[in-house]
Amino acid sequence: MSAYILPILFLLLILYCMYKRINTYDNFVKGAKGAIKLVVDIFPFIASILIAVALLRVSGITAWLTDILSPIFTFLGVPPELTELVLLRPFTGSGSYALLEDILTTYGADSYISRCACVIMGCSETIFYVATVYFSQTKVKKLLYAIPVALFCSIIGTILACLLCRVM
Amino acid sequence: MMLSSILVLLITNPAEMLNEMIGASTSALELCIELCAVYVVWLGFIELVDASGLSQKLAKLLRPLIKKIFKVDNEETQKIIALNISANMLGVGNAATPMGIRAMQALDDQSGKANFAMIMLLVINATSIQLLPTTVIGLRSTAGSANPSDIILPTLIVTFTTTILGIILCHSIEKIRKKIKGRKRE
Repeated sequence: MSAYILPILFLLLILYCMYKRINTYDNFVKGAKGAIKLVVDIFPFIASILIAVALLRVSGITAWLTDILSPIFTFLGVPPELTELVLLRPFTGSGSYALLEDILTTYGADSYISRCACVIMGCSETIFYVATVYFSQTKVKKLLYAIPVALFCSIIGTILACLLCRVM
Repeated sequence: MMLSSILVLLITNPAEMLNEMIGASTSALELCIELCAVYVVWLGFIELVDASGLSQKLAKLLRPLIKKIFKVDNEETQKIIALNISANMLGVGNAATPMGIRAMQALDDQSGKANFAMIMLLVINATSIQLLPTTVIGLRSTAGSANPSDIILPTLIVTFTTTILGIILCHSIEKIRKKIKGRKRE
């Protein structure tokens, strides 16, 4: 079902452009031109955050944090098997999706743990990555309360996700 | 963060540090090449949406909401925010990113501090207001789930709750900050 949404959206857009007598090709090219410059602008920021995450993992700090945080998560109703996913999620999209695939194959796609992991992935974002990339092209140095609020919301979301998966 | 990681690495595994760093920046480069390809498609798409006047219509539709949540009056900025939120809702985060960057640039007041609308945009993006978690559903069906889409409902409930929580939190923090500032002036 959901596979049809994007193709239909593209089709409708092109039909609408034809109706409005807009040159689809020229405008598409004009927009697409911005892609390379955008990627060049954000590359150093993406590289830095990925390097930081890699160092965290290889130094063993992540494993250490997982051990410390697991009991707290269990207390909040989050299965300890998901601690690493919850920790990694704010930093890297590809890393956390790889971990989700791991969880799905280890525990089975329809187990409670996998369903929790899926809901957590669906309702959270790579907060630090998004913050780095979004603010990379501005003069902003101080984010004030943005990150704490975002993290707090995603922790509440995690707890709620595990709670809902128990009943739904 | 990097400093503490390197300090720990000095004790545990000093030989691996440079390898890991270069490995990570290689994967950043690969990611960027992939992103570039994705952005070509989405920026082209967005340009068409813009040229056909659809983005103005979308912005008009979402304007009352954006005005209330972000307290932004500039029409051009409202339009970019509307595109960013719509892309998020459709679950195409990669189309949302260029719009998010543009919106942040438009909102930047050069003061060096994030203003209310910028913080709000980040929080809303962080709580991920998507209607269809397509990637997750795809992974589940690959892993052999009997009913891969049964996570849609809980995901929607959680997403809406956290987004509303984020909006309320930002507004109340802003109110408290204004009060404190007011008191300082007195």
